Amino acid sequence: MSAPSPHDPRLEQAGATDESLLAAHEQALGKKPDDKAHYKLLPLALLFIFSGIIFYAGTYLNHYSGGYSAAVFDENGHPAAGAAPAKIDPLVLGKKNYELVCTTCHQATGLGVPGVYPPLAGSEWVNGSEERMIRIVVYGLKGPLHVKGANFGAAAMPVFGKVAGSGYNWNDEKIAAVLSYVRQEWGNKSAPITADKVAAIRAKEGDRKEWAQDELLKLP
Amino acid sequence: MNTASQAEVSEIDPSARCTLTLLIATALFWLVVSGVLALLNFIQAFTPTFLADCPLFTYGRLRALQETAFLYGWAANAGVAVALWLLARLGGAPQRSLNWTRAGTVFWNVGVLAGLIGIACGEGSSAAGLHLPGYIQPLLLVAFGAMAVPGVLAWTGRSRPVTFAAQWYAVAALFLFPWLFSAAQVTLLCAPVRGVLQAIAGGWFVQGLWTLWLAPLALAAAYYLLPKITGRVIPNYDFASFGFWTLLVVGGWTGGRHLVGGPVPAWVVTVAIVSCTLLLIHYLVVAINLRGAFGQPGVVLKFVGFGLAAYLLGGLADAVTAMRSVAVLTQFTWFAQAQSQLALGGAFSMIVFGAIYFLTPRITGQAWLSTPLIRAHYAAAGLGTVVLIGSLAAAGWVQGHDLANASVSFADIAVHTRPWLQTAAAAQALLVVGNALFALHFLRSVCPCNAGATTLPFRQPPTMEASAS
Repeated sequence: MSAPSPHDPRLEQAGATDESLLAAHEQALGKKPDDKAHYKLLPLALLFIFSGIIFYAGTYLNHYSGGYSAAVFDENGHPAAGAAPAKIDPLVLGKKNYELVCTTCHQATGLGVPGVYPPLAGSEWVNGSEERMIRIVVYGLKGPLHVKGANFGAAAMPVFGKVAGSGYNWNDEKIAAVLSYVRQEWGNKSAPITADKVAAIRAKEGDRKEWAQDELLKLP
Repeated sequence: MNTASQAEVSEIDPSARCTLTLLIATALFWLVVSGVLALLNFIQAFTPTFLADCPLFTYGRLRALQETAFLYGWAANAGVAVALWLLARLGGAPQRSLNWTRAGTVFWNVGVLAGLIGIACGEGSSAAGLHLPGYIQPLLLVAFGAMAVPGVLAWTGRSRPVTFAAQWYAVAALFLFPWLFSAAQVTLLCAPVRGVLQAIAGGWFVQGLWTLWLAPLALAAAYYLLPKITGRVIPNYDFASFGFWTLLVVGGWTGGRHLVGGPVPAWVVTVAIVSCTLLLIHYLVVAINLRGAFGQPGVVLKFVGFGLAAYLLGGLADAVTAMRSVAVLTQFTWFAQAQSQLALGGAFSMIVFGAIYFLTPRITGQAWLSTPLIRAHYAAAGLGTVVLIGSLAAAGWVQGHDLANASVSFADIAVHTRPWLQTAAAAQALLVVGNALFALHFLRSVCPCNAGATTLPFRQPPTMEASAS
């Protein structure tokens, strides 16, 4: 029988044994030192091409990643410019949080529940000293309380501020917003309270227990 | 001559005959099935009334059916067969625990069949590449684990300390698929992540199926077949590991390219675009390593060369169409279909065809039966793939420009793409014919009743000389 063509489609002949294939490639892995300085040009050119691709990729990534912010959907946007936190109206924020939490006791009318929960509408506490008002909300209040000529035997205002023992951990901005809202709603007409003022009082008092009426009355 | 043929056909190949034949035969069955389904699907694209009244084969279900049959029927079975075979050869020992593969293959294919019926009945999932009903997927995961056991054993128990690029790619593919598949099942079906994350997970999976599973399987075959047949060392082989790790590390990050302009944070898409660009490094290394596959005589390397050209072209197309300015035109059009055909049909299928042509005579111990059938298959597959991809790309280009123009109505867009889709359907028909011929030829060649029909002897291959490279 004549020798078959090496490339008969029916039977492609192998050009190398598996052992020699593995051995030859192991040897090709450049284990020999290049002492005669036969540096090949191809690897050098590849180095430049790879560097170019990586440089381009890095630049593109840097320009169009929107600071890796989850809120930036436009590749040309920047989190600082595009997604700047919108200015929130403290009265809107205050109303939202009042309706979320405070209405449970003080009611949507701000009138509270006679004998149990003190009223906010027209209250001398709400419209009076900022110092006392902020302290009550940030740290809470315990014990008897006198509001609008009525006695409340065992008031228990929870702790709202970002202080030890707080169940709400509201930040200063939120507290200022709720206070400002309360001070202009239901016919109240007092000046708004700033977050800076809340922060100042929190810094001054540190961590402490709930206030009592007598302590508060000593304050300005 | 007898000793020579025994040396080339060692006990490594015939011991796996039954298992590999089972895998390849089922793979070819699903290839023809998916081809027919794809043909029906193309006809529906320009004749919407075709089969529209049959709930089992509406356009959406048919699309999911053909994609699933291709990925989980053809690509999985054939890819595992090729990976197991070359891991055993390069490991230098007959495969162990082939029972695992046989059992796994049976369960896998029963699972695929049940899954396809489930999809036709409307129980498929909506995630691309993951259309199988959720209840069938855990079975497939376990079955794949069983199928891959001999491959892992051949790797860990290899008799030679050195390893070769083909082994890296094959082992990586065997390990990466269960990772992709299980992660996608959890994040998309079992405990679906919410909102935007779902699109990101879906994009990651469908892209990962290609870059981390099918592409490594095809590359494993190409890296083995080229030096094995030409007998020459791969040029610049020291770069091969660099190309391998680039694909593995960067490949998984390219999923976001499907989400350009979508409701995802900008950086997700930007990272994907950048990853597609960085993958050019991988494609460049592969091109330099395997450039010898172009213009070779011999049908195996013709298939491999065709597949390699499609692979490199696909990588370039991915990098270009990932660009935001280009994606605006190509996204959500037939162009994306052309790209997926380029990868799956052009690169993966063609390279694996070549591998099957090379390995089948070695597992059966005798040559293929018919030269004309091989040539017919090459002509049909080559021409069909080129025309299919070309016409889909043209349809996508026309569609993309029309969609960007508000004054063109949808009906007009359909009219404009119609001739291209008809061409694509014709090309798909040609592909089906070619692949059916291949399947029949394979079945006849491995059939024991044809033993001794050809008497072509195996030559003892020469020893590969270490080159100066």
